[in-house]
Amino acid sequence: MSARAPSRSDALLAAADDELILGWRDSEWTGIAPSLEEDVAFSSIAQNEIGHARALYELAARETGGDADALAFDREPAEYRCCPLVELRRLEWADTIARHWLYETADAVRIEHMTASDWPELAGLARKIQREEAYHRLHADMWVDRLTGGEERARLAQALQGAWPYALGVLDGALRERFRERVAARLPWFDAGGDPGAEHARGAHTVELRPLWDEMTMVRRSVPGAQW
Amino acid sequence: MTSEAQFLEHVQSGGVVEAGDPMPDEYRALLVKFIAMHGNSELMGVLPERDWILRAPTLQRKLALTAKVQDEVGHAQLIYRVCEDLGAPREELLDDLLEGRAKFHNVFHYPTRTWGDVGVIAWLIDAAAIVSQKALLKCSYAPYARIMKKICWEESFHILHGRDVILAMMNGTDEQRELVQEAVIRWWGPIMQFHGTRMPPEKDLVLQYRIKTKDNESLRQEFLDGYVPQIRELGLEVPDPALRYDEGEGRWLYTEPDWDELRQVVSGHGPASADRLDLRRRMRDANAWVRRAVLADAA
Repeated sequence: MSARAPSRSDALLAAADDELILGWRDSEWTGIAPSLEEDVAFSSIAQNEIGHARALYELAARETGGDADALAFDREPAEYRCCPLVELRRLEWADTIARHWLYETADAVRIEHMTASDWPELAGLARKIQREEAYHRLHADMWVDRLTGGEERARLAQALQGAWPYALGVLDGALRERFRERVAARLPWFDAGGDPGAEHARGAHTVELRPLWDEMTMVRRSVPGAQW
Repeated sequence: MTSEAQFLEHVQSGGVVEAGDPMPDEYRALLVKFIAMHGNSELMGVLPERDWILRAPTLQRKLALTAKVQDEVGHAQLIYRVCEDLGAPREELLDDLLEGRAKFHNVFHYPTRTWGDVGVIAWLIDAAAIVSQKALLKCSYAPYARIMKKICWEESFHILHGRDVILAMMNGTDEQRELVQEAVIRWWGPIMQFHGTRMPPEKDLVLQYRIKTKDNESLRQEFLDGYVPQIRELGLEVPDPALRYDEGEGRWLYTEPDWDELRQVVSGHGPASADRLDLRRRMRDANAWVRRAVLADAA
């Protein structure tokens, strides 16, 4: 990535990196989800996220050069623009559902915003992504509604609290406030106040990104420049 | 003639059996054991590949591998439903699997070491599996035969994906070709054991009841017919100096597979058996509260 003033492709890369890294985390459930149905569901969501990442990278590559794979795999970890929320390893179901729901809620706000972009290709792509993300939100909503009994509610509440500062780091300014309003409206029992710390906001990375990147790129790095 | 003999004659002459039809206990028990092993294999077959979804070297490969593995889980789901209709609940089958009381295919007891393994599994192991599965399309138990159509259709895409992964590597660098050759060497033994020992057909009850329609050796020969020429055409060596097609006998000759290894492995003593079952047990226990929550909702 060249060092230059923020451009319209920066926001695109941020969204693409979020989708790639979250898709990667979703794939960690493959084969070990709580039920076969959820295994299939998370696999399907992971495929959508990776597919969205690819489409966003392709659009970004028109401005930055390179191709989608190079953007996805050939940057150093510090160059990724994903938010810390998606980097977190959350291989516990309540944590996964909390992150899933918070991310999908924030992502809906971001995609709505993108559909109004004056960059026609981005607006068109955002409308396409929006159609698929609607199903992710239905899935996330279903789980939030389902985990309402005593033990489950306590687990979900704790998981939401843990993820909340990171969730506030997905979006900035007016979009963040719109996200906060939606969370408060949907979960009246949850305290949606506060601000993200520097370590929760986009631009910071958690210690969990490096091992993820090591694993994600290990085959590709093993024979540099090869076709796979 | 007893009703059991009539049943046997019915299925042997091409008759089919539906879920609600009367059937001998022996047939039902054989079906559950056979079909559950298939379901278990689809499910355990996810584990050798799951790590490589995370390591896939391009976005396209990542998408294809995720879709393939998702298919396998979907197959397990379909297959366990067939078992459920036969009176074996999914939870019970899963417990049997995790506690080592049920079996799964030998090839899923081995570790995957490189991206070459990912290609060889999707290409050759899925090819060996589809040969077996096609022989189930005419299974006497109609509900199983029906889902096998969908399964075979999807598996044929997995083979194409596997072949594409292999072709990309064979057209790549020396290092990549070496990864493929090493993987073929690593997997050849388990592949040759995959279809099982040469059991005389008259002693194989699964065959007698026409649950499967071809004996083990015929399946192995069919696999060799289809794939040895393809392997060699790509410039890969099969690690068996005795492997050759004998025109006179009209069949492939090969070094006797290591049947002791097969017996060891499928009884849960393969190099990755314990780790894989342990991972599943840990996740079952960690996720137990989720299943309780869902079941409470359903009640």
